[in-house]
Amino acid sequence: MTEDKDTKKDEQEDKPIGARFEEDQPYVMPGIRRFQFFTNVNDRALTKNLNRAAMLGIASMLAIDVGKAVVNKNPQTIYCYECRACYGTQDKCPVGIAFQAELVVSARVADYNRFLRNGGLKCIRCGNCQSFCVQYLNLPQIFGTMQLQTMEALREGKIPKSMVKKAFEKGLINQAFIDEVAEFLEMP
Amino acid sequence: MELLGYITLAIFIVTMVLTLFRKINLPVQTVLVLVSLVNLLIGFLFRIASDGFTSAILLPNEMIGGIILHPITALLGGLFLAGALEATKGFDALKVIIAKLQKSPIGLAGTLVIIINLPVIASLPCGRIIAAALLPLLFSFGWEGGMGLLTKTQLVVLIGAFTRNAMGSCGPSPIGGVGQIGEGFLGAFFPTASDGILRSPQAFSLMIGTAITALFLKIISQKLYPNDVTLRDKPTTIGFEEEKKITKIKAPFRGYLSLIIFVASLLIAIFQPFGKMPVQTVLVAGGILIILFCRASIQDLMGGIILLPVTAMASGFLAAGVLAATGGFDALGVILKSLSAIQILGVAGMLAIFVQMQTILPLSCSRILTAALVPVLYLFGPAKFNLITWPQLAIVMAAYMINATTSCGPSPLGGGGTMGEGQMRAETGFIKGAYTFASMAIMAPIAAIYMKFMNFTVFSPENPEFSQNLLVLALFTLVIIGISGGMMGIVSRSIGKDVAKNWNLQLIYFLISGGIAGAVLALAVYEIKILQIAQGFIGGVIAALLIGLMVPKTLAAVRRAA
Ligand code: SF4
Ligand code: SF4
Repeated sequence: MTEDKDTKKDEQEDKPIGARFEEDQPYVMPGIRRFQFFTNVNDRALTKNLNRAAMLGIASMLAIDVGKAVVNKNPQTIYCYECRACYGTQDKCPVGIAFQAELVVSARVADYNRFLRNGGLKCIRCGNCQSFCVQYLNLPQIFGTMQLQTMEALREGKIPKSMVKKAFEKGLINQAFIDEVAEFLEMP
Repeated sequence: MELLGYITLAIFIVTMVLTLFRKINLPVQTVLVLVSLVNLLIGFLFRIASDGFTSAILLPNEMIGGIILHPITALLGGLFLAGALEATKGFDALKVIIAKLQKSPIGLAGTLVIIINLPVIASLPCGRIIAAALLPLLFSFGWEGGMGLLTKTQLVVLIGAFTRNAMGSCGPSPIGGVGQIGEGFLGAFFPTASDGILRSPQAFSLMIGTAITALFLKIISQKLYPNDVTLRDKPTTIGFEEEKKITKIKAPFRGYLSLIIFVASLLIAIFQPFGKMPVQTVLVAGGILIILFCRASIQDLMGGIILLPVTAMASGFLAAGVLAATGGFDALGVILKSLSAIQILGVAGMLAIFVQMQTILPLSCSRILTAALVPVLYLFGPAKFNLITWPQLAIVMAAYMINATTSCGPSPLGGGGTMGEGQMRAETGFIKGAYTFASMAIMAPIAAIYMKFMNFTVFSPENPEFSQNLLVLALFTLVIIGISGGMMGIVSRSIGKDVAKNWNLQLIYFLISGGIAGAVLALAVYEIKILQIAQGFIGGVIAALLIGLMVPKTLAAVRRAA
């Protein structure tokens, strides 16, 4: 573009850019406008508190996400990139678990369903997958902790039978837990 | 459960599209939180009905599992360090260095090309880290930023191209990049896949895509939206004093020191010389060193943090978490698979649409959909549906992945590209056309071709066809760039004052390019088979139509109407 054209445009831009914003809006620093826009739409919400509540919701969900990992004694899970490089373990996993990252994430938030579905109770904590992790997280330890928690939840009746049954039928429970799981499933 | 998936998916897509078109006039975070709540409630009721209360009560946990902490903390780490650099005048030190480099043999142009490609060279696991740190520097190259090296047009191109490169660099990153999701899955067949089977196709097409983005921004975007960048050029009459102020930039010692700490932390984050360590830890440690040695206050560092993209990403993950928990993504997989049964599309056409999925629906972080869609793509392969073979899957994965990882760039929902738009003082949506075009028409087909002709031979080096394949790759790349560039020239020349006509023109251009991209993908996957190439073309046109429709006609006016 030539200098001439640029100068012309420059003249145009000296005019107020009211089209973008309410006329009475002070023109703060350039680049801050995007945030002004969000403040503007803020005012248009049914209630201002709606957006505040949403922000509060997001913040608390993040806090719960991190807090749960700590409370569940699995703080290492916070460092998981969820990059799935650990899937490279493949046939080096003696029990054929394919999706280790799923187990890590489920351990972080105590998602029993995801843990069972991906064969968490089948893992024998051999540690073969650890070297595939880009963070070298202690995966067998993470899985072991979650296994104990899952069994605990099972005893306390926090996991519905249907979920456990599916895992059981697919052979996703290892020898260490199978008796107790079978007993649980036979319970009325 | 199945019906539930369709319901939650429909609610999610409809609300997202309405928000993209600004029909829902609320911040995206609020929308996403509301969508999550509604879907959660519906899921809760369904679960109670089907599996009982014990199952329903576990649903919130499953939703929170959708939050991927890594890009959020990586972004916070990057912003933290950028704040430190800013407060300690590290950027001034960088400006002095650049002013010196400019006089070196590589000149200003060479310096800028290196800066633009810095994100892919560094390949950090989230593009925002480097963008947050360096975008303020790029801004300073212009008149308003103080250095006065570049005109407004040049600055728009520079910032746009840099941001494009950054918001794709999480793809080839070997330290927790998004591309590793695909590599992890391909590891099921290719033993060395997790060592980086997708890295070079992504890096290669990203560099070419960056160049095309720059061209598009220069000759099309600035014509389409001439009044939507409020940067100012250097006035023609400028006082001697002011001129002196521009040319004389000085930096204090602590600025240089903080810059050294910054560069060292980046290098440690990338090369991990002290063993495996999260990038975030390195960045925060760098920030703390800057506080200690360069006299920055914690407040300065916190000042660098912009919460908007952080909250947008987090709410996106929440919404995705609910979708995953309620079977929404399974439903999407079924819908996509059934597309392949449509005669006119076939598997080739469906795949041509699939690889563009995240360009069609660009969310604030590519991981939101990638984590859900890559398993679907994996199932299309021999692992379940057997629609394609392993090598074909790898080709499609390469094309899909580059588009996925670049998708936070054009996202108006708090995506990474909005950081660039903010820096170039442009309206939201200014870069969308250029970014989506580069992803759709350039990056996806080039990544597929690269995978087909280079990676399979590189991964088996004894193959004598290596140099021949190199030639084929070069030819294809040139043809793809040639066609796009030529058509871009025609579109650029035809742009006039009529907004509707301009938009139609752009749409037609998108359709043709999308069709070609789909055909090239089909060619890479199926080789010379006319039916599949035609199906790929049709799939590509459909994807391009959906992408093109999302590109705004005007920017400021959209807001006026809203
Ligand atoms: S620790 Fe568990 S998941 Fe990892 S390889 Fe061993 S059995 Fe498989
Ligand atoms: S390789 Fe490590 S960091 Fe990456 S997803 Fe697996 S467990 Fe997480």
